[in-house]
Amino acid sequence: MLHMPVDVIATFNVQGKIKPNYIRLEDEDHVLHTYKIENIVFSREEKYAGVPVILFCCNILRGGIMQTIHIKYHVKSHQWVLANP
Amino acid sequence: MDNLIFHIDVNSAFLSWEAVYRLRIRGEKTDLRDIPSAVGGDIKKRHGIILARSTPAKAYGVRTGDTINDALKLCPNLVIVDPHYDLYESCSEAFVEILREFSPCVEQYSVDEAFCDMTGTVGMYGSPVVAATLMKDKIYNELGFTVNIGISTNKILAKMASDFKKPNLVHTLFPNEIEKMWRLPVGDLFFVGPATKRKLHALGIHTIGELAATDLDVLRAHFKKHGELIYSFANGIDVSAVSDEAPPNKGYGNSTTIPFDVDDGSTAKMVLLSLAEKVCTRLREDSAMAAVVAVSIVDTYFRHESHQMQLFSPSNITNEIHRAACRLFDELWDGSPIRQLGVHTSKIVRGDANKQINLFDMNRYEKLSKLDVTVDMIRERYGEDSIMRAVFLDGPIYHLSGGISPEKHKAKYAEGIKDL
Repeated sequence: MLHMPVDVIATFNVQGKIKPNYIRLEDEDHVLHTYKIENIVFSREEKYAGVPVILFCCNILRGGIMQTIHIKYHVKSHQWVLANP
Repeated sequence: MDNLIFHIDVNSAFLSWEAVYRLRIRGEKTDLRDIPSAVGGDIKKRHGIILARSTPAKAYGVRTGDTINDALKLCPNLVIVDPHYDLYESCSEAFVEILREFSPCVEQYSVDEAFCDMTGTVGMYGSPVVAATLMKDKIYNELGFTVNIGISTNKILAKMASDFKKPNLVHTLFPNEIEKMWRLPVGDLFFVGPATKRKLHALGIHTIGELAATDLDVLRAHFKKHGELIYSFANGIDVSAVSDEAPPNKGYGNSTTIPFDVDDGSTAKMVLLSLAEKVCTRLREDSAMAAVVAVSIVDTYFRHESHQMQLFSPSNITNEIHRAACRLFDELWDGSPIRQLGVHTSKIVRGDANKQINLFDMNRYEKLSKLDVTVDMIRERYGEDSIMRAVFLDGPIYHLSGGISPEKHKAKYAEGIKDL
């Protein structure tokens, strides 16, 4: 699966630090579900192919199960994408 | 202390950059570098040549510059992807940015290669090979593509060294190792093109070593000044310094392959106008003026002709350059169907050089230059297509020709994230 654009609610603090709080994902029946981001395991700045992105590895609670996902914030286009692990 | 120069060359640049973009940004699974693949132009628009190819494609004999049709005959399962110039620009910038972390003096030689003056960095990074390996790995880890680095005491030897075995390797070619280069065929030497190579072969010179041992007077007799240049290159002599300032442009020119054969003069002159528009916009951007205008024609049989003239006074006014181009065209064209047209300018004058006003000009110069400046400002603010000459409305010719056409800046992907 390709990296897909997703809706994210994030907070930006005064130091410019970005923290994703909620993410909205689509299921197989095209129904949207909002998940709270429980915690961020790590984040990292990347610049592959000269494209600046910030990668967040975080946990969401989905159907009672903690699931680890990777989301990337594109600094130039301000898009969030869900990355395949 | 001896100078220490690195030449850094991106391995099959356009293809590597597209491969990294697809893997890391789009999340595709196949690495274009591992399969026979190439970046190619648009066959329908007759821009059908291979711009870069992967190493597996090279094994099939596909070369840069081949037509797409020829390449597909050599390798029927070749994956061809569209060019993506915005991406190349951002990759190139990021690449040079990393080099600048290592050296205060970086000369970007082209979109995918650069020279670094690393003289005096032994105390920081240790031996040159260690420094180069560090540099190469940092580029790979951070940007995702591989480079070759050539190390020597001057630019020509460093450049030749980076061209040895590829990809992702560091090579040295210090003056005491020059035999490494002398073994190579003479066509591999920098500045020896197909024509020079043919002449050298006729003189019985087949390797760089043989060229280096040839009497300089013989080379001078056959190649004039160029002979001195290739002789010193073959002997590993190059006194040019790494310079972080780009030398000023000696000429401005653009050409375009027209999607259809042009057999009437008026259409050809419209193409010339669109080319003149582009060339003059670039001249005005650099506040430069040109005193010589040249027109080139490639006809449908791939015959190449060109013709040039001196202007009454240097100019960067679209109408004036176009008028000169049309005159040259009328003198040059034999009526055969045209495939490609070009407008080139040279003898560049920079800054606010005095413009010789023509007595019979009827104030056109001032009016036209004001018009051009206004059009440039509108285009800069609202986009290139915000204003155009009415002759181009609904016509088959785009109003600015030459250079990279707009659709080649972005790639079109069916799904996944949009091009950034």
